[in-house]
Amino acid sequence: MLIGNFKETYSADEALFRTATVRAWMGVLAVGLLAFPFLVGDYLLYLANLVGVLAIGALGLNILTGFTGQISLGHAAFMGVGAYVAAILSTRFGLPFWLAVPAGGAGACLAGMVVGVPSLRIKGLYLAIATLAAQVIFEWIFTNWTGVTGGIRGLNVPPARLLGFAFDTDRRVYYLVFAVAAAHTYFASNLFRTRVGRAFIAVRDRDLSAELMGVNLFRTKILAFMISSYYAGIAGGLWVYFTKVVTPENFPLSLSIQYLTIIIVGGLGSIRGTLFGTVFVTMVPEMLKAATQSLRPFFPNAMSYLFPMRDIVFGAMIVAFLVFEPHGLAEMWNRTKRFFALWPFKK
Amino acid sequence: MRTRRITKLLAALLMAWVGSARAADEEVVIGAAQPITGRFAFAGVAINAGLQDYIAYANEAKLVKGKKLVYQYEDSGYDTDKAVATFKKIMAQYKPVAMYGESTGLGKAIAPELNGRYKVLYGSASFSSELADPKTHPYSFVSGPTYSDMFGVLLEYIAKNPKGPGKPKVAFFYSDTEFGKDPIPYAKKKAAELGVEVVAEIVTKVGAVDVTTEVLTLKKAQPDYCIFQGYVLSPITEVIRGARDFGLKTTFMGAMWSVDKAIIDKLGPDAEGYMGVNPYAYYYEEVPGIVAMRKYNEKAHPGVKYQPNSYIQGWFTGMVFVETIRRTVAAGKPVTGDNLRQALAGIKDWDVGGIIGKVSFVDNKVPTGRVYRANVQKGTFEPASDWITLK
Repeated sequence: MLIGNFKETYSADEALFRTATVRAWMGVLAVGLLAFPFLVGDYLLYLANLVGVLAIGALGLNILTGFTGQISLGHAAFMGVGAYVAAILSTRFGLPFWLAVPAGGAGACLAGMVVGVPSLRIKGLYLAIATLAAQVIFEWIFTNWTGVTGGIRGLNVPPARLLGFAFDTDRRVYYLVFAVAAAHTYFASNLFRTRVGRAFIAVRDRDLSAELMGVNLFRTKILAFMISSYYAGIAGGLWVYFTKVVTPENFPLSLSIQYLTIIIVGGLGSIRGTLFGTVFVTMVPEMLKAATQSLRPFFPNAMSYLFPMRDIVFGAMIVAFLVFEPHGLAEMWNRTKRFFALWPFKK
Repeated sequence: MRTRRITKLLAALLMAWVGSARAADEEVVIGAAQPITGRFAFAGVAINAGLQDYIAYANEAKLVKGKKLVYQYEDSGYDTDKAVATFKKIMAQYKPVAMYGESTGLGKAIAPELNGRYKVLYGSASFSSELADPKTHPYSFVSGPTYSDMFGVLLEYIAKNPKGPGKPKVAFFYSDTEFGKDPIPYAKKKAAELGVEVVAEIVTKVGAVDVTTEVLTLKKAQPDYCIFQGYVLSPITEVIRGARDFGLKTTFMGAMWSVDKAIIDKLGPDAEGYMGVNPYAYYYEEVPGIVAMRKYNEKAHPGVKYQPNSYIQGWFTGMVFVETIRRTVAAGKPVTGDNLRQALAGIKDWDVGGIIGKVSFVDNKVPTGRVYRANVQKGTFEPASDWITLK
């Protein structure tokens, strides 16, 4: 049981992981994640990669929506921009992946900057509609700028290579995805301990007050858009090397909405919550599927009813979350942690 | 009480497991990632039923000697990411020698690993010409003609049946999706070769509701024929109704998904004259292959009066899987994806009892189709041509 936490230096006070217990648990987590590909089969490994890529994108959206309070319905489009930039640079210009993926991030970042410009004038639902327009416009460009994007058929991308090492199996891609995801999670966690990150939160809580305190609203909002779409772009770039093919149908509006679901279920304005949300939104439908699958031998003729039931159950779960735990999975985690902090001495 | 029920259940599961383990040496597994939920569920449920039924039928008729065919499917929800995951799950869990996939998207996403690692015969719900390219997709096949071939069949019919003197005029009406755009470049080339003039090209979103401007474009262009691609029902019905209101004489045509009985039911009297290309015979036709299918259905699903085209697609894909396995076994070769692929390439003039014209696989597809015309009184489609095979 931990009763106090005495710090003697400034650096101890500023550390991201402050206590030995937390550091130990993070170590366990890191070892677990490193060992994961050797413990599971193809299916879970593939889903884990999907979670990793989506988590990076979702972190981006949480920075924008959860921390800065700017709603975006165009997040999938930014992911698409990153994916296409990376795919085009690697297929047309033969750029290696370690340049193509950051370039995808940069491309998405620029796109986000442009889309973010109206955010100074419009807020809330109106901004949501403006970003929705971005989603539609980018989707149209992906589909119709055939000469560059390969049109509706998209582009096929060779596996990523680093010094002659090809990331061609799911296990190899896993380490790539998780290294990038870990770095971006680390950056995001630290971001909100800096002046810029705190300015984001100030803008979210009351933009006028933030401005009176000396936060440059325009610059801050644009920066939030840029960082957010940079994250989406990196996710898109990685996604290309993960699936080896990119088509316009990979970045529909429903993906943008899935991102919103992730951050709402996980917890708006929480880095940890974003990761929980991604795992939840990706894995729970699969678990429900496994459950319906196991019922099939008993109801062989009811499968066309059983399978859609899964979506209904999943939808109901999300509604239940919004009603009973509006702060998301992150808050549930905190409560559990608080409970165990003094356990078993406190009821 | 409850514990006893659970014990019973566990015992049943254990028995099933032991049972399957004992028979394992003779089983040949066919896997499927089926779009049973999601946007494509309207067809996915029937495709799955067709494929499952044919495999059961083949087992009953002992079409493959000394082997028991096992069908393992899972729902993939018409979502490429989830479908790839499902594909890998089935591959890892059941080690099938042939797989069925839900979409063009899955076919493209899985191609690198299918060619390099899994090497199983791959059939799918897609008629995309891209998946029928033996260079990039050597393990894939299309269960019939591609969309391009279907356009080819329609255009050949149009070229042979002009509505008056001069070049026949045709309009292409398609959605801005992969499904809609896939055959268009080929169709334009083919039309030019056949001397058919393309007077209008109209592109819309799927499920567009207001089609007034599109109908006006048609009115201006006055095509003899208008071919839809990339839709199932909407907005085909709206366009046809609108065109009738404007008094257009155009003959409307569709392909595969939009020549099912459902469209006649939806259009009612307006369906008069509607035509289309179907790669397969209808469930009510009196040809041996379909009669056998109906007989099986009467036994397995009493009370089912009709099965849609998608069911027949599933059934026919099942026939291809089983035939390749049968040929491989008959040749005394081990049942592997590579041997199935070779068996597939060897299929020439295979008689499938009229479910589809003579089957010859050319570039992993069967470029054959038949033009049908709606008969509103009977509520059915009737053949308007013989089977047309593209050269």
